[in-house]
Amino acid sequence: MPHVELKNVTKRYGNVEVINGLSLAVEEGSFTALLGPSGCGKSTLLRMIAGLEEITQGQCFIAGTEVTDVPPAQRGAAMVFQNYALYPHLTVRQNIAFSLSIAGASREVQNKRVGEVARMLRLDELLDRRPAQLSGGQRQRVAIGRALVREPKVFLFDEPLSNLDAMLRVQMRLELAKLHQSLKTTMIYVTHDQVEAMTLADRIVVLDKGIISQVGTPLELYNKPANKFVAAFIGSPAMNFFKAEIAGRDGEAYSLNLPGGRTAKIVSRGGTVPAAASVDVGVRPEHLKLGPAGAANSHFDGKVSIVEQLGNSTLLYVDTPAGQLIVEGEGNLKIAVGDTVGLSLDPAASHLFGTDEKVI
Amino acid sequence: MLKSRRNEMLVAAVLVAPFVFIYGWMFVYPTLQMVQLSFTNAPLIGPGKWIGLDNYKRLFGDRVFGTAVWNTTYFVLLTVIPGTAVALGIALMVSRLNGWFQSLILSAFFLPFVLPITVVYLIWDWLLNLQFGIAQYIIGPIMGKPMNVWRTIPWFMPGVAIITIWWTNGFSILLFLAGLRNIPKELYEAAALDGATRWQVFTRITWPLIWPVTVLCLTIQLILQLKIFDQVYLFSLGGRTAATMVMVQYIFEQAFQKNSGGYAATVAVALFVIVIAFSVFQYQVLRIRGAR
Repeated sequence: MPHVELKNVTKRYGNVEVINGLSLAVEEGSFTALLGPSGCGKSTLLRMIAGLEEITQGQCFIAGTEVTDVPPAQRGAAMVFQNYALYPHLTVRQNIAFSLSIAGASREVQNKRVGEVARMLRLDELLDRRPAQLSGGQRQRVAIGRALVREPKVFLFDEPLSNLDAMLRVQMRLELAKLHQSLKTTMIYVTHDQVEAMTLADRIVVLDKGIISQVGTPLELYNKPANKFVAAFIGSPAMNFFKAEIAGRDGEAYSLNLPGGRTAKIVSRGGTVPAAASVDVGVRPEHLKLGPAGAANSHFDGKVSIVEQLGNSTLLYVDTPAGQLIVEGEGNLKIAVGDTVGLSLDPAASHLFGTDEKVI
Repeated sequence: MLKSRRNEMLVAAVLVAPFVFIYGWMFVYPTLQMVQLSFTNAPLIGPGKWIGLDNYKRLFGDRVFGTAVWNTTYFVLLTVIPGTAVALGIALMVSRLNGWFQSLILSAFFLPFVLPITVVYLIWDWLLNLQFGIAQYIIGPIMGKPMNVWRTIPWFMPGVAIITIWWTNGFSILLFLAGLRNIPKELYEAAALDGATRWQVFTRITWPLIWPVTVLCLTIQLILQLKIFDQVYLFSLGGRTAATMVMVQYIFEQAFQKNSGGYAATVAVALFVIVIAFSVFQYQVLRIRGAR
C-alpha cells in the first residue's frame, strides 16, 4: 500500500487550472523528488499534501487514511520551507520546541526532545541563539529540526536548498541523504534542480504544466526518457535534438535520412511510426563520438565553433548540417576552434520522438 | 594632521550650526523663557515682577488645576491603551480581507482621520443632539430618557474619549496593518503545521512580532492625548468648563482669557514635567516587556 497517495487531484485558482487530475503514489520510506521547471505545479502539489492548499477535486491519503479535509497539523506531515520560516523572535530551542509547547508538553519532555534533535543535527551550541544570528546552513538545520521533533510520518521539503550557496548546497545534500538513511521516513522533495533530484531521490516525478510527465528512478529518466520534455529537462548539458526523416524499418531499428545526406540506424523503444514521417532525434552530448571528418562511419561533419575545457571533460559546440550539436569528449582533447570533425551517433543510446513528443 | 582635523571640526560646526541655531532659538530659548516667566506675575504681553515661588504655591492649592490634571490623566487612560487595542483588533480583521474590498473597508476606517476637529465636533454634536440627534434613539431606550452627553459630567470624558478613538484610530490601524503585512505568510503556515490554534498563533507569533509597532502606536498616542485640548474645548463650549478642564485648556484659559502669562507658564512647566515623566515611565515599561 502506498504511504502517500493522491487520487485524481485537481487544483484550480479561479479559472486557472494548476494541476489537472493528477494521481501519484509514494511508497513508504522512499525519497521522492518532484522535479519540474518553475510554475509546473510542484510546490502546489506538495502544499496540498501538507494541507496548506485546499484540494479542489480529488483525494489525498497519508498512511492509508484520507486526509483531504484534515487540518495540516493532524496529517502527520512536517514541512521544511524554502525560506526556512523560522520564528524570528524565538531562540533555536524555542523554535524546535514550538510544536511541543503548543501541544502543552512538559518542560522536561521539551528539553529531552530538543536535546535529541539538536545532537542529531549538531545544533547543541546554537540552542540559545535567534535565527538572525545563524548562517543560512544553520537556519536550514533548525528548520529540519523543527520538522524532526514532531516525529512525522512524512517529511515534505519545498526547495530547501535553493537559498544556500553552491558549496553549502552540496554539503546539505549529503546531510539530507544521511538523514534519510538513518530515519527511513518517507520524504517528498520539491526541486527545480535536476542534480539535487538525481542525487537524493530514489524516485523522481517529473512534472510539466500540472501533469506528470514521467515517474521513475534517476537512471530510468536519464536513459529512457518517456518524452521530449523529460529528455530535454534531465541532463546537463542538455540533450541535442534535430529533425530527421524515417527511411525504413529493420526489426526494432529505424533507418533515418539525416540532415546532410547520410543515413543512420536508431533502435526504437517499441513505438511505431510511418515511413517518410519526420521525427525528432535526441542524443546526449556523451553519446556523440568524435572522429576524423569524412570518415565512413561518421554521421555528420562539422566545424568546431566553441571549446569549453572543464578539466574532466571537454564540451565542443559543433556546427553541423543538423544545427549546432554539443559533444562531450575527454578532458585532454586536442581540438581547437575552427577544426573540422566527424560525429557519429550511438544507435542504442539515441532516442526518437514523434510529433506528439512521445518516445518512439 | 592637526590642521586637517581643525578643518574638519570647522566644517562640522558650519554644518551643524543651522540646526543648533534654529533649535536654540525656537525651542530652548522659549522653554527657558517659560520657566523664567513662571516665577513672575507677568500678563500675556509685557514683563512682570519676580514673585519667587508664589505661582507654584498657588498651583498646589488650585482646585481647577487638580481637576485638569485628573481629567487629562483620565482621558489618557481612556484613550491610549483602549484606542491601541481597538486599532489592533480592527487591523487584524481588515488584514484578513483581500483586494478592493480590503481597500474599501480600510478607507472607511481611515476616513475620520482626515476630518478637521471642527467637522468631527459638528458631526457628533448633531448625532448626540438632545432634540433631533439620531444617537438619542439608542441612548433614550437604554437610559429611559434622552441625555445631554456634554452636560452630564460623568459622561463627558468617556464621550470625548470614544470620539477621539473614532477620529484618530485610522492612523494606528494603518501602522498595525503595515506591521501585520511584514509578517511572512510562511510563519503562519509553519504554525499551522505545528498545530497552533488561532489564539496561539496570535499570542505566540503575531503579537510578539508586531510588538514594536504597538510600542510606536502607544507612544504616539500618549504624547498626542496628553496634549488634548480642541475636542474638550469644543464640546464643553457653553458648559461648566471648570469641571471638564484639561491641562492645555487651562494654560489657554489662564494665558488668553485671564491674561496671566506668569501663572499659565507655571501650569505649562507642570505639564512639561508630567509629559516627560509619563514618557520615561512608559518607555521603561515597554522596554522591559520588549526585552523579555
